[in-house]
Parts: sequence; structure tokens; C-alpha cells
Amino acid sequence: MRVRRAWWLALAVCMPALTIAAQGFRGGRRGSPGREPNPNVPYDGRFTFVRVKFEPLGGGWDLKWDHDYPRAENHFMKILEELTTVKPYLEGSNILGFDDPALFRYPIAYVSEPGFWSMNEKEMAGLQAYVQKGGFIIFDDFAGQHWFNFERRWQEAFPGLTPVRLDKSHPIFDSFFRIESLDMDHPNYRGIKAEFWGAYEDNDPTKRLVMIANYNNDIGDYMEWSDEGFLPISLTNEAYKLAVNYIVYAMTH
Amino acid sequence: MARRTTDDEGGARLDRLVELLFKYRPFAFAKGSLAFDAPVPVWVIVVLALAAVGASTVWYSRHAGNLSRGTRVTLASLRAVAIAVLALALARPVLVLSTSVQQRNVVAVVVDDSRSMAVRDVDGGARGDVVTRLAGGADSSLLRALAERYQLRVFRLGGGGRLADASSVRYEGGRTRLASSLLRIEDDLAGVPTAGVVLLSDGADNSSADPGADPGEGGPAEQLLSLRARHVPVYTVGIGRERFERDVEVARVEAPRTVLRDASLFVQVVLVQRGYGGSRIPVVVEDSGRIVGTATAVLPRDGEAVSVRVRVPASEVGARLLEVKVPVQPGELIAENNARSTLVVVRDRREKILYVEGEPRFELKFLRRAVEGDNNIQLVTLLRSSRDKFLRLGVDDSLELATGFPRTREELFAYRGVVLGSLEAAFFTADQLRMLADFVGERGGGLLVLGGRDALGEGGYGGTAVSEALPLELQGVPEDAAAVATVQATPTAPGAGHPALQLAATDSANRARWATLPALTSVNRLGRAKPGATVLLNGIGDDGVASRPLLAFQRYGQGKAIVFGAQDSWLWQMDATIAVDDQTHETFWRQMLRWLVSDVPDRVETMIAEESGPGEGITIRAEVSDSGFLKANGAAVQGTVTTPSGVTQEVVLEWAVERDGEYRATYVPEGTGVHEVRLRAVVGRDTVNGASAYVRVAPPTSEYFGAEMRPALLRQVASETGGRYYPAERALDVARDMVYSASGATVVEKKDLWDMPALLVVMLVALGAEWALRRRRGVA
Repeated sequence: MRVRRAWWLALAVCMPALTIAAQGFRGGRRGSPGREPNPNVPYDGRFTFVRVKFEPLGGGWDLKWDHDYPRAENHFMKILEELTTVKPYLEGSNILGFDDPALFRYPIAYVSEPGFWSMNEKEMAGLQAYVQKGGFIIFDDFAGQHWFNFERRWQEAFPGLTPVRLDKSHPIFDSFFRIESLDMDHPNYRGIKAEFWGAYEDNDPTKRLVMIANYNNDIGDYMEWSDEGFLPISLTNEAYKLAVNYIVYAMTH
Repeated sequence: MARRTTDDEGGARLDRLVELLFKYRPFAFAKGSLAFDAPVPVWVIVVLALAAVGASTVWYSRHAGNLSRGTRVTLASLRAVAIAVLALALARPVLVLSTSVQQRNVVAVVVDDSRSMAVRDVDGGARGDVVTRLAGGADSSLLRALAERYQLRVFRLGGGGRLADASSVRYEGGRTRLASSLLRIEDDLAGVPTAGVVLLSDGADNSSADPGADPGEGGPAEQLLSLRARHVPVYTVGIGRERFERDVEVARVEAPRTVLRDASLFVQVVLVQRGYGGSRIPVVVEDSGRIVGTATAVLPRDGEAVSVRVRVPASEVGARLLEVKVPVQPGELIAENNARSTLVVVRDRREKILYVEGEPRFELKFLRRAVEGDNNIQLVTLLRSSRDKFLRLGVDDSLELATGFPRTREELFAYRGVVLGSLEAAFFTADQLRMLADFVGERGGGLLVLGGRDALGEGGYGGTAVSEALPLELQGVPEDAAAVATVQATPTAPGAGHPALQLAATDSANRARWATLPALTSVNRLGRAKPGATVLLNGIGDDGVASRPLLAFQRYGQGKAIVFGAQDSWLWQMDATIAVDDQTHETFWRQMLRWLVSDVPDRVETMIAEESGPGEGITIRAEVSDSGFLKANGAAVQGTVTTPSGVTQEVVLEWAVERDGEYRATYVPEGTGVHEVRLRAVVGRDTVNGASAYVRVAPPTSEYFGAEMRPALLRQVASETGGRYYPAERALDVARDMVYSASGATVVEKKDLWDMPALLVVMLVALGAEWALRRRRGVA
């Protein structure tokens, strides 16, 4: 526990610098693709990747939730279709808010950069209903002090539904691929080890996970750049394996 | 009543008219044959008659009078008729009949002593009072009339030996078994010259509900044939009214014999009535004295039936004795037929269902979620998550489904239901597809096929063994591009009342719930329902007009096959319009899966009547199968019967040779109440326990149901045996007709017919008319 607190301290000090460095990495942030997103695709029963949009804390030109869009989902859907029997929607993906009734047609949602996540009341009500009815959320691409915002928002929506750290024995790490090790580096902050957090329905470990949080990790980034070789292949593979497992788990539990 | 009286009076008048004109009753003509007994050969009379007719014709044709041609023909014809009638009389027609020899024959008078004979529907008196008037003593009308010619033996229909007369009969018999009782009485008269049997009864036979009936004995139809073969005529006298004036009856109560706990349980109540049309009366269902369901019935027109559905909770496990009651109405004739019981066994067992899915999809997730807290459903899931990669969920142990989909009948038939998801037919071998069809047809399991991109026709099932079992024609083929159709699930008339589709507590709330459910989508092209299939849900398209079958089922062999063509029923859980605490999706799937495995046979299937009277033998039957659900003949089958007081009795069942896998025993229950029967069979090396079956032992009440006088059966018994049916007011005609019985000690008699008034009347009319016409034309 003492070790963990030390990590927090180090991260809190270093994170701004690391973040700035990351923005410049690989030629800089690619603008904000979410400001001109591709049109949403119609529902046809197939699994369709849904990215959740929100008003990012602090405003500014960077929407945050759109990081890695749309390349990450495009790549991931192809991989998912290739590896599994899932029939994903390959011709596009969706961007929806928690307050959008259409979200309820897609019981798996992806939230990027929850460190900047904010919700109005309508969005919070939507999130609550979504999870209580059976929805599953993947939080990704946050590290260091971002945790505090994520945890605060989560607790606002679900007071008492406590995120717990998962180890490799959890079924989500064996739903398709058997993940032998959770030892994984953040794609941009080298040396920072990924952690996997989840929240159980009713806080009951025998029940399903309602969300998984890739803390100190960014599998979206791994997937986005998987066709350009910027990131280690082995870690990119791990990112895909995790993402596939999340989908299969969420479709079976 | 009015119609019956008219018919009977008409019959009596016809009999009298025939007797007046032709000397003898119609029954005599029916029994005898016509002949001629002329002192000279008949041809001589015919020649003479023709000569006379010819002469009169010539005479009229040459008559000098001023007669038209028509008048001449008419006069000649009238003369010819008179000559013909005279010739007929001279030929001396006779009726050749067998008639009973006086006092050399026995007549059995059989009195129906069942409870329905105590119904007071005959001029304020009981039916038994009519019997007393007819046969209550030596000087009673019918016995006196019969005794002039026959020796009499009086019997009760319910058994118990000979009586002096009917005065000592107590109308307490619990059941009426007309044909079998008559056979028994005729057995008693074997070797005795018997002119006939006179049956005094209301015809209310209830032998078809006899729990002790041995299937080997045959039903009433076979027994009637046996009666016919004895050649002893049965003369039946119908006592009572064919139509009550005022009565309400719980004619039928239908409920499943067994249900799984928490299933939707409906009791279907059929009421018939006379005299209370248009009234609204409450229908109450009680379980051990507690009211568990109510409904209101609007009584239909006289003689018509109305059906009412009452929802009853199935939360308490065990044998539930449900009593359906309607209040006794003012002026009702029979109060006892306002209540009827049925026995429903609520089982608390875990039904194992195999769900095979070809792709991870939300339908799988939410279906599993819907039943995950259900202690009565075990959904074993085999998910093909990649080629040759399977995810098993809900299995009992590491070996279950370890090699994928079952490859043997024993392995597959261990499940009671199979749900087939979006998984193409090519995944299975031909043997596995055949096995799936046999799972339904031979094992009696339930098969549910869900819609999906690789399901049904689009999954290549057209023309396979599985498609034969399905209730809908498959129109799609694998090469089709997926066509996504939005459909609003709408219950059909059968669906609205189906237990699996009850989403709310009342019918109106249920209709409203279905109307407000979010639309689903379907990617399968489903054709029309096959003959014998039932469509429960239609999918109405976006335009509100186009309709396609969405949920349908049919019986296939021993089991049932269901198609649910939607791919995303999970929208009934997730859709934005669905409240977080809404239970529609869970309720739908829990009921669907309960229905899927309802009536699926066990390896030892116990079959027993629902109720029996005290002291009546109960036939316990068992169908025993091996692990592949092939009928097993070499099994050792025995069981334990437990009385309500806890006393147990062992029974051993013997193989019924004429039917494979069937074993039987007869058990005579002691005491009243609900008796439990538990069977166990040793099949090869397996010992298999059957589920508990129950029988209610109570004084039978069937005599009070359908208690109106039933002349149809009495007529049938009479006509089959060569006798005749009489209403009570013409009972004395029995003695007159029985004279012509061909049974017993008889002699052949020739009854002269030449002097029957009809001949004289015809001759006089012909001659009179001829004379009148001649006089009118001035030639008389």
C-alpha cells in the first residue's frame, strides 16, 4: 500500500510533463477527429463499436473521448471478425452520449480518457440505467491522477459500487484468449505498469463485471497504431487479446 | 323438453295409427317378415286380378256415356285399385314372427342405481320415483305388464345380485357404466332363456372417466359390440328430462397435470347453463380452501358453453388440489355440479437445457441473465467463439460437452430442451442433425430455434432433418444477403392466452404490455406455418400491415419444436423505453423455457388417472426407456404408493406385452385424499426413479355432471341389440313389443294381415270415388 502511494506521488508530479510529451509523440495529436466524426451507422443487430462522447473537463480543442478515433475501432473490428465468430459491423462505428436513447441498442460502450470525463444529470441517469439493465463499459486511456476524476464520476453515478483491482484469474481474462500475464506497459508512459479494475454487479464477485477500466493503459492507442509499427507488436497483441476478451466476456456474462 | 315431448307424442301417435290400420305395432313389422298364405297359388290370383282389371278397363273404354278420355282412365284406375286390394286380401298376406312362449322366458329388469337418478327433474319428483312407479313392487305397472308373460329378474345396474323389485334401490352409485354392467348381468343370466333386458336409466354414462378401466378391456364402443353379439335385445326406458330448466354446471376444468414452479399456470373453466343466460357470475379457484384465483363469467345462451381462464400462482411445490367453484344460483336444480376439482403437480426440479450458440451475441448474454437466478432452469451453454473453439458455461463438470456438441443420443437426450442459436447447419454432421430431430420426435424433448444470421433457412437448415421438425417453412438460403426487418411482436389469438406469453397479471394488462414493447429485428425469411403448427406471435412490420410469423410451434412426434424468429429479444431488457426494474424480458424467457420443457417425458414416465373413487382399482401405468430413450421391455419396475396418512404400499408393475416399454399394475387405494405414486425401474445397470405422480381418491361426483337425461346412448344400446328405446311415459309399450322378441324360447307365428283395416279402407275409398265420379258424370 505504501508502495502504491509512492507511485501516486511520482505520477502526480510527472504526469503533466508526460502528457505534454505524449501530445508531441508521433508527430503530435491528430487534431480532434470527433469534431467531424463519420456518421453513425444504423442498428442491424450486429455488434457495433460505440464510443461514448462527453464534455471534457477543462474544455479546449481536444475532446479527449475521441482519442484514437476512428482507427482504433476500425482496426479492432477487423481483428474481432478475423479471430472470433462475432459478426461485427465493419463499415463504421457509432459515437453516442450516455443520454442518447440509441445507446441502449449497443450493450457494450467504450469510454476513452475518463480522466476528463464529465456528466450532466441526464447523462448520469442514462449511464445508471445502461449499467443496471445489463450494459458493459470499457474505460481506457487514462493514467496517473486521471484516476481521481474517473473514480469520482463513477461513484457519483454508482455510490457504493466500488471498483476493485482484477488479477489474471478473473474469467474476463480467459473468455477467449487465456491472458497469462497482466504485466503490461502504458504505450506512452514507459515504465508505468497497467492495472485492470472492474466493478461487479451489486459488488458481488460472483456476478458479472459491469465495467472494466484499463488504468495506466491505453489499448485504444495500441490498436490505433497497430498497422504502423510505432508500438511493440507484443504489447499490441496483448491489447487486442484484452479487447477481444472484453467483448466476448460482455456478450456472455 | 318441449321438443322431446313432441317427438315422443308423435312417435306414440304413429304407433297407434299403424296398429289401427295394419293391426300390429310398427315394432312387429320391424321384427317380422311378410309372406302369403293363400289357399290357391298366388299366380292364379294375380291372373284373375289382371283379367278383372282388363275387363273393367275395356268396359270403361267402350262405355256409351258421354265421358272424356281422362274420366275413363280415372274410373278404370280406381276400379283397378279396388281389384288389386281385393286380390291382395285373397292372397292372404301374413306377418311371420317369432314370439316369446308365455312364462317360459326370463326378462331382466335393470335399474340404474346411480346418484344421477336422485335428480328431482320429473314433475318435482326424483327420477327414482318414476322407477318406483314402474318397478317398485309386484303390482307396479311395468312389472305387472311384463309378469303376464315372463318370469322377472330385477337387478341393480351397479351390481349386488337380484332384487325382488326396485323398491329397495338406493340411488347412491358413484358411476354409471351401462355397457359393462349390462354385460355382467347377461353373464348372470347365461343358460337362462332370456327374452330381453329392460333398462330403466337416465343414460348418463360416465365410464369414459373410469380410472380403473383396463385399457385391454376396450371402451364403451367395444362393449356395445359385445352386447350385440349376445343377441339379447335391450329395451331401454329413458327417465328424466333431456333439458334442465335452470342449472349452471362447471362442465370442464382443464389445467396442465404438471408445471414447473413459478410457471404461468392457467385453469381453463368451461361453464354451461340453462335459465341464466346473460348473468355475470364469479368463478373462484381455491387451493386447500384458500382463494388463489378469480374471474368473472358472462353466461351464454342456454345450452352454449363459455370458457373462462383463471390465472393461478404455481409457487407452492407439490400436489395442488384446485377446486373451481361458481355460486349456486337461485332456483338451480343441481348444486353439486357447481364445483369441480383438478390436481396440478407443481414440480421443483432443475430442468437442464442445452443452449448451442454459434457466435457471441447479446441474445446469448441476456437470455442467460434472464434465467441465471432461476433455480428451476439450468441453461448449459455451448458457445462456438471461434472455429473449433468453444466456451462452455453452466456445465456440471469438466467433462460435460468437453468434445463439443453431443455425438451420442445418450449424451444429447440427457437434456430436456435444446435451444439452437445462430449456428449454421454445416456445423453439425448429418447424424447430429438427425439426432436433433429425434430429440424432438422420439425422445419427446423441446427444441427452440432462435433467429439469427446463421439460423434457420439462412443457416442452411432447409431440407435437413431439423427443418422437418420445425413449425414454419424456411424460405431463406445461406446465399441471401441479410435483410433486416423491424417487427413488432403481436400475439395472435392462441398466443394471447398462451402461458408462455403472459407478461402481466390480467388479460387486458397483458395486451397492453405487448402493444408497448419495443420492436425487434429479424434477419430470417420465415414462410407460412405448416399444417398443425400454431403461430403465437406475429411480427408486424414498420408499415403496420405486413405480418410474418415470429413465434410458432408444433408437436413433432413425442415432443415440440418452436421457432422464435427474432435476433434481439434482449431489446425488451435494454431498450431506452424499458424501465430499469422491468421484468418483461426475464418473465418472457423464464416462461418460454418452462414451456419448452413442459411435458417432456422422463425415462420412467408414470401415467395414472387424476381421480378415483374409494375402493375403485386404479391402473398405474409406466413407460420405461433406456438412456437413448428407446422403449425398454426387460426392466424391473416397482413403486411405492403413499397415502395421505403416510402409510406406504409397494406395487410391482408387469410388462404389458402388447406395448413396448409399458408396464402396468392395479392398485386399490385405502382411504381418501391425495395418494403419491413413486416408481423406480431397473433398466440394465441403471436404476431410474420416476417423478412423483398423484391421484386423488374421493367419492366420485361425476354423476352430477352432464346429468340431463341422455337418450342418445339409450337409443344406441337398444338399436345395437335389437331392442327399442322408450320414453318413461311409454314404458308399458315394452311389454307389448317384447312379445316379438326373437331371443329365448320362441315359436314362429303367422299373423293374418288380409283383414287389416287399411285394405278395407283403400278398397272402400277406391270404389267410393269411382261411384262418386260416375254419378257426377251422370253414368251411375
